[in-house]
This record gives sequence, structure tokens and C-alpha cells, in this order.
Amino acid sequence: MVGVEKAVRSICKVVENKGLTQNIYEIVIECPEIAEVAKPGQFLHIKTNKGLDPLLRRPISISRVYRDKGCMSMIYQAIGRGTKEMSDLRPGEEIDVMGPLGNGFPVFHGKKCAVAGGGMGVAPLLELASSIDSCDAYLGFKSSTFKLADFKSVCNELFVATEDGSAGSKGYVTDIIKGIAKYDIVYTCGPKLMMKKVKELCESNLVQCYVSIEERMGCGIGACLVCACRIKEGDAWHYKKACTDGPVFEAGEVDFND
Amino acid sequence: MTDMRVDLAGIKLKNPVITASGTFGFGREYAKFYDLSKLGGIVVKGLTLEPREGNKPPRIAETPAGMLNSVGLQNPGVKYFIEKELPFLRRYDVAVIANIAGNTVEEYCEMAELLGSLVDGIELNISCPNVKEGGVAFGTKCDSVHNITKSVKDHCKVPLIVKLSPNVTDIKEIAVAAEEGGADAISLINTLLGMAIDINTRKPVLANTVGGLSGPAVKPVAVRMIWQAAQVVSIPIIGMGGISCFQDAVEFILAGADAVAIGTANFVNPYAPLEILEGIKDYLIKNKFDNINELKGNIKK
Repeated sequence: MVGVEKAVRSICKVVENKGLTQNIYEIVIECPEIAEVAKPGQFLHIKTNKGLDPLLRRPISISRVYRDKGCMSMIYQAIGRGTKEMSDLRPGEEIDVMGPLGNGFPVFHGKKCAVAGGGMGVAPLLELASSIDSCDAYLGFKSSTFKLADFKSVCNELFVATEDGSAGSKGYVTDIIKGIAKYDIVYTCGPKLMMKKVKELCESNLVQCYVSIEERMGCGIGACLVCACRIKEGDAWHYKKACTDGPVFEAGEVDFND
Repeated sequence: MTDMRVDLAGIKLKNPVITASGTFGFGREYAKFYDLSKLGGIVVKGLTLEPREGNKPPRIAETPAGMLNSVGLQNPGVKYFIEKELPFLRRYDVAVIANIAGNTVEEYCEMAELLGSLVDGIELNISCPNVKEGGVAFGTKCDSVHNITKSVKDHCKVPLIVKLSPNVTDIKEIAVAAEEGGADAISLINTLLGMAIDINTRKPVLANTVGGLSGPAVKPVAVRMIWQAAQVVSIPIIGMGGISCFQDAVEFILAGADAVAIGTANFVNPYAPLEILEGIKDYLIKNKFDNINELKGNIKK
């Protein structure tokens, strides 16, 4: 009767759930309905348990979409109760998924692009990099790395930095971004300080930059207003919703000092 | 056919399931999941006279079987609601109740005037724990509850529901004060004031330091308060506080609620209100009740 778009909540099957390094895992779930329409930079809102505790869903970004198989993968860190329970899920078990949620990265063709990711922030950049025809990747980690081979296979060039120097250059991802002016667009996701620095690098080199921000979420669909982030609108700043107005924003709109 | 209709002091609900203020936006988000006409009513996000930006993030902390929030009444203002949001809600066959909060009694009255009879009811938010002006000052003392209810009632063209704070010593005297002030109905409970501290950073999790606790964790407190209020008032009661399944909803109605509002459960399962509604219907059939109203307060001694 009323013309509104549809949203999906689905009970999906776990296809694979494996450790990548330390407490970082990759889960592959089967959900053709969502995989069909999912875009890079969007996220899924996951309920791992059936009980009331932990209560809330966990927003996790989509790291790969396998449209032909109707599957998607997510990379997550098992740090809280919800994600720890998620790491115990075995193939064949069920998982409650809402999605795809949020606005993804705008994808441009025929442009020279780079992705700059830090830690868990590399996850959504993988699907993005695979959707762009010309893309370099700059990835930073604390110590152990993950998904480097996957990035290598979808990117022109891959540059890696680790804080302890155990892989790639010793230092931060922002130390290894060379000749940023040669890019038309840089996409970044990771710790706030890193994204702030990437944003500043892009601004001083007149490179277009998109950031994917992270905020604690409630509903994930724009109703509860807990995931507020300060975003520039015209000359004024307003609290916008990371879940539905974002999580991807044009870097110039985001106030990282809040 | 089991009769699910509830008359909430003149607000006609086709069933007793309502969505709670602050958990359902202005309905648009959930309209993507189901037909809003299936609900008994929708209480919209708390409105203020002027737009409000709300509190600094983080605004949420997960707690055992619950969550703390300190949104701080972020909303586009009552005029925007009337012009841009209400027409959308009016496309559905569902009772629309506007939740209003103000800094002064005059602001509440002005909002009630602006809303006129454009909505089916007004819920007086005198219990928001997250902003200094959000009314909690009005909601915790009997004489101020009485006064604000009386003042706003004079400007109200539709039934007036007063939403009570659980952060009081005696809910009974507050409920009575609302009834004597002229409230057509009461709703309870709003969130319980709580706090969480991150032991790694040794900072409060919420930027606002304290926030409102909701979710299954608060349910027994809500049941108790609804039961206590039902003993002392004769006006209808909307019961809420941690309802996540039909069994919870039935418990609230048995405690004395005429209708129930679903809040935090919407975040976990967007279909929660509909599943709860179906569950209540089945319960009534199984237990041979022809009418939902027979269940209210129907507990054995």
C-alpha cells in the first residue's frame, strides 16, 4: 500500500568461520538476498546468540561479496562477548543477519584510486579494491597482518607497514603513502587518528577522500540515534547517523576532533 | 474472534501493541520491514519546540541484558515533525502519539497547541533522564507532576498521557498526582538512571557519564511499578520496560497495563512488535479470553 523500500532480516547459514591471526576471524555466510544487492562499504547487523545477553546486534562490515555463490564474508575481532560467541559458530550453524545496511563507498571507474586501511579497517576496503579497476593498497597493522594475498590479487600495488616492523616497513600506514598527489581518489578506514592524517594528506594534495567511520550502534537502521557523528552541512555541523547517513562520508564532511 | 481492541482514554487502538518513544524514530525505518498499520499505535521520538542536536557520542553502552543510552532528545523539532514526518505516518491506519519534552511548562503547552488534534494523543515526557531540561525535574515531585499535567491538559485537544519516571521513591504518589492533574492515561516506565565505566580507560562509557537503562534487565522493576500504579489510579496504563516477547507483554497486562509499548526489543528484532502481538492473540485463545481487556490486572491472589 505505501511505497517504501524493503529491508532484509534473515537467518543465514554459516559456510565457514576461521581464525586469520590472533583473535581475528573471517566468517563466510550464505545469504543470496543480501549478497545480491550488497555494495562495498556496507555493513551487516549481526545477532550471534538467541538469548537476551548479550542483547544487541553487532555491526560488522562486509569484506567480500561472492554474488555467484550468494555468500558474503566478514572479518571481525573477537574482543567482546558477542564477537567471541561469533567465533565459536561452526559451518552449518545459523546466524541472524540484517542488511545490507548503510551507504557504501562511491565507486568511480577510470580513476586512479588507493585504499588506506589500518587494522580491522582493512576489511571493507577489500571488497572495494576488488570493485575498482585501478587501485593501490596501503595497509597498516600493529603486528600480525591478514588478507595481504587477497589484496595483492585485486590491487595493482600493495604497501604494508607494521608498528613493530614484523612485516613490511616499520611504522604507520600514513608513513608509507608515497606520492599521494598521483591519485584521484583515496578511500580510508581504520583508527580515527589514522583517518584524520589520511584526510589531511589528501586535503593538502587536493585528492578526493572518502572515509568509513565507526561508532557504537544500536538499531543500525537509523531509528535510535545513538551512533551520532559530527558532519558538516553547509557552514554548520550537525550530528548525523553513522548507520544510515554513513558509515562512508566524504572526508571533508567529518569532524575527527569531536 | 478474540477482540484485541483497546480504548485508551479515547485513543482507539486496534490492538494493545504500541512502539515506545525513542526506539522507533518516526516510523520510516521500520516501515521498510512491515506494514505499520499492523500496530496498535506508534509513539514518536521525543519532540522539543526547537530542533535539538542531542548529546555528544558515545551515546550507548551495552550492559547485562540491557543498554544505557544518552541520546539527549536529538530531534528536528515539533514543527518539522508536523510538516515532514506526520504526513508519512498518516498514510497508515495506526494511532499516532506525539511524545513532547520541554524546558518550561510554557514550552510543553505551546507544543500541545501546535499539535492540536493532528495526532491521536500526546505523551508528556517529564522523565527523560538525559538532558537537564528534558523534564525529569518535572517528573520526580508530586506537585510539579500535578501542575504540569494540569497546565498542559488545558492546551491539549487530544488525550494526554503522562510518562512516568521510575527514578522516584514512590511511584504510587506520582501516578496519583498525574491522575489528579487531569492525565487521561499514564505510561511507565521510562528508563532507569544508570552508569557504566570502562575499566581500561577508567572513563565513563557514555560521554554524558550517566544514561537511561532499558532492555530485559529492567523488566521486573517495570512490572512492579505498573502493578503498584494500577492499584491507585483508575485511568488507563501503557506498560513498558524491557518487553521482548509475548510472555513479557502478557505479564505487563496482568500487572495492570491496558496496552504495552515495545522499545529496546525493536533494535534487536525489527519484527518484535508483530511477533509479540501474535503471541498475545494465541495466549488469549489458548486461555479462553474473548477480549484483551479481560486480561488487565487479572492476577490471582
